[in-house]
Amino acid sequence: MNNTILRVERLSVSFATEKGRLTAVEDVSFSLRRGETLGLVGESGCGKSVTALSIMRLLPRPAGRIEAGRIMLENTDLLRLPAADLPGLRGRRIAMIFQEPMTALNPVHRLGQQVAEAVHLHRPELDDKAVGQEVVAMLKQVRIPEPTSRVKAYPHQISGGMRQRVMIAMALAARPDILIADEPTTALDVTIQAQILSLMRDLQAETGTAIIFITHDLGVIAELCHRVAVMYAGRIVESAAVETLFRSPRHPYTQGLLAAIPRLDRTPKAPLATIEGTVPALDTMPPGCRFANRCPRVMERCHLAPPPLVEVGEGHAVACYLYS
Amino acid sequence: MTAYFIRRLLLIIPTFLGITVMVFVITRMVPGGPIERIIVQARQMQSSLGMAAGAAEQRQPLSDDQIARLKAYYGFDKPVLVSYGQWLAKVLRGDLGTSTRYYDPVWRMIAERVPISLYFGILTLLMVYGVCIPLGIAKALRHKSGFDNTTSVVVFVGYAVPGWVIGVLLLTLLASVWEVFPLGGLTSDNFPDMPLDEQIMDILWHTVLPLTAYVAGSFAVMTMLMKNTLMDNLAADYVRTAVAKGLPFRRAVFRHALRNSLIPIATSFGNNVSVVVSGSFLIEKVFNINGMGLLGYESVVERDYPVVLGILVVSSLLFLVGNILSDLCVAVVDPRVRFE
Ligand SMILES: Nc1ncnc2c1ncn2[C@@H]1O[C@H](COP(=O)(O)OP(=O)(O)O)[C@@H](O)[C@H]1O
Ligand SMILES: [Mg+2]
Repeated sequence: MNNTILRVERLSVSFATEKGRLTAVEDVSFSLRRGETLGLVGESGCGKSVTALSIMRLLPRPAGRIEAGRIMLENTDLLRLPAADLPGLRGRRIAMIFQEPMTALNPVHRLGQQVAEAVHLHRPELDDKAVGQEVVAMLKQVRIPEPTSRVKAYPHQISGGMRQRVMIAMALAARPDILIADEPTTALDVTIQAQILSLMRDLQAETGTAIIFITHDLGVIAELCHRVAVMYAGRIVESAAVETLFRSPRHPYTQGLLAAIPRLDRTPKAPLATIEGTVPALDTMPPGCRFANRCPRVMERCHLAPPPLVEVGEGHAVACYLYS
Repeated sequence: MTAYFIRRLLLIIPTFLGITVMVFVITRMVPGGPIERIIVQARQMQSSLGMAAGAAEQRQPLSDDQIARLKAYYGFDKPVLVSYGQWLAKVLRGDLGTSTRYYDPVWRMIAERVPISLYFGILTLLMVYGVCIPLGIAKALRHKSGFDNTTSVVVFVGYAVPGWVIGVLLLTLLASVWEVFPLGGLTSDNFPDMPLDEQIMDILWHTVLPLTAYVAGSFAVMTMLMKNTLMDNLAADYVRTAVAKGLPFRRAVFRHALRNSLIPIATSFGNNVSVVVSGSFLIEKVFNINGMGLLGYESVVERDYPVVLGILVVSSLLFLVGNILSDLCVAVVDPRVRFE
């Protein structure tokens, strides 16, 4: 597929902990097409951020280590890139925004200065005046009111939503091919969250940047994404186009997640379905399917080996023995 | 902000009055004041002149009239607050009185010592900040390396041993056993006959050991403060943002983490200013340097109250101003700090 810009292939990542090396992400594969928004969804701790940081080559070192896999950006394996080439990759080809707008900006630098730094890094041919104009244009693009005066403000002087807009402006400064957004709206109020989502949708239409949108909220996925990959305990359990996934989820975990979303077309005030049990801890991962202990349709073979991700329809893959 | 600093400057006045009143009252209550000393001296004189032993020795050597005149001379005949007021009025006119030991003007005695204390104090500050900040940065970047561990050992030994003990050790080793450095003082005997460049070298040569003793104490605190805050900041989200933008790690450290790490260092500036002012009488004693520390110590022991109070006036004013400077430093490095 020539349309694919990024392919993550069988990625496994481990961390050094007091209990020894534990695998946080195992055998994760997905691909991202040009100009699309791919949702990466899963509950807290399932390995979404670790996957994103692996793509950016930003895993905390030496604790975090990539054990296996390839991350192909077009024809380059990012995992084989020498450290000296990373600054040219980050920001320019793949940019990232983070969950906490409070702490992700430097508290002692002015906003304009922080955006200008990104512009300057990737477009060294611009002189100071041109960089300044570009910064104001970027802030205008992310719909920050009065951008000319805001450049002089410090992060503590603006709201969380505004800070996230500045982060987006900074990330888009070098017109990257890919933007990874790691729960950018989780820390924000619902109304602000909706504004940021609509901003990201518009920006994607304007710039054509491919987006990996990480969230634990299926509602956000429905609103923003074209395709979605569902993660559970460090593995991808299902991936499909958004409509397919919402219409006919195959994996029992995905089915459980969708049943747990409140919907207006169901009996009012009926108790929401929940998934019984808890996610196994990293050091007690079972050898077989990681959802087996909570699965309503568990079978004997589920406990033996992890089910492979198999194609069950056009662009729809599931890792479950019910389908293979 | 300006209003805040004006208010801080005005607050110096009541603080200063509080400090001086307290010390002034203490000088009245502590036994062994100047009059008692004169009585003791007179008694010694009597006995050395071979006056009648026994009964005569028990007798008061000075008459009541003489004592009353002495009290009036020292201002002890009036209530304490009245004489405090008189003292303060003189201070405000720039008169710190005369030493009860040497009968020299206190101003002149202090003015002779201040340059020496400032010389060592400022050099100490420069050394502490000029060496501890780069050392702390290097240690943070090479955390747990051989370099980090060895420097930690050296720094903490320096911290655990008091400055004057280090001074004694240095003197014994480098001045007595090996005679690399002079035994004390600030200049050699033939200093006045030297050309200027040799004079400068001579002073520097005399400076090395005492300066090392001064620096040793604050070294550990500042170095570890720098190292630990920088390490905290290296793990901060905004450094990750900077690297994610495409900044090489080293540039992210120097452009982003460093300035945030200087905030606690700037806060500690006020404390370090007091070292500049007061010096350390123990180190001065070990190296035979006539600075403010030694002068202050001697005048307390000898109950030379005008000198004690004079030093207090100078050092408390400098200290209070130093604290305001320290607040200014913090406001300069941290835009979130807005004094209202
Ligand atoms: N620095 C680290 N050291 C040890 N374990 C880590 C570290 N970072 C993440 N993990 C572990 O990796 C797993 C996935 O974490 P993460 O990707 O942050 O989850 P999320 O899906 O919420 O973003 C978690 O179990 C977490 O405990
Ligand atoms: Mg996360």
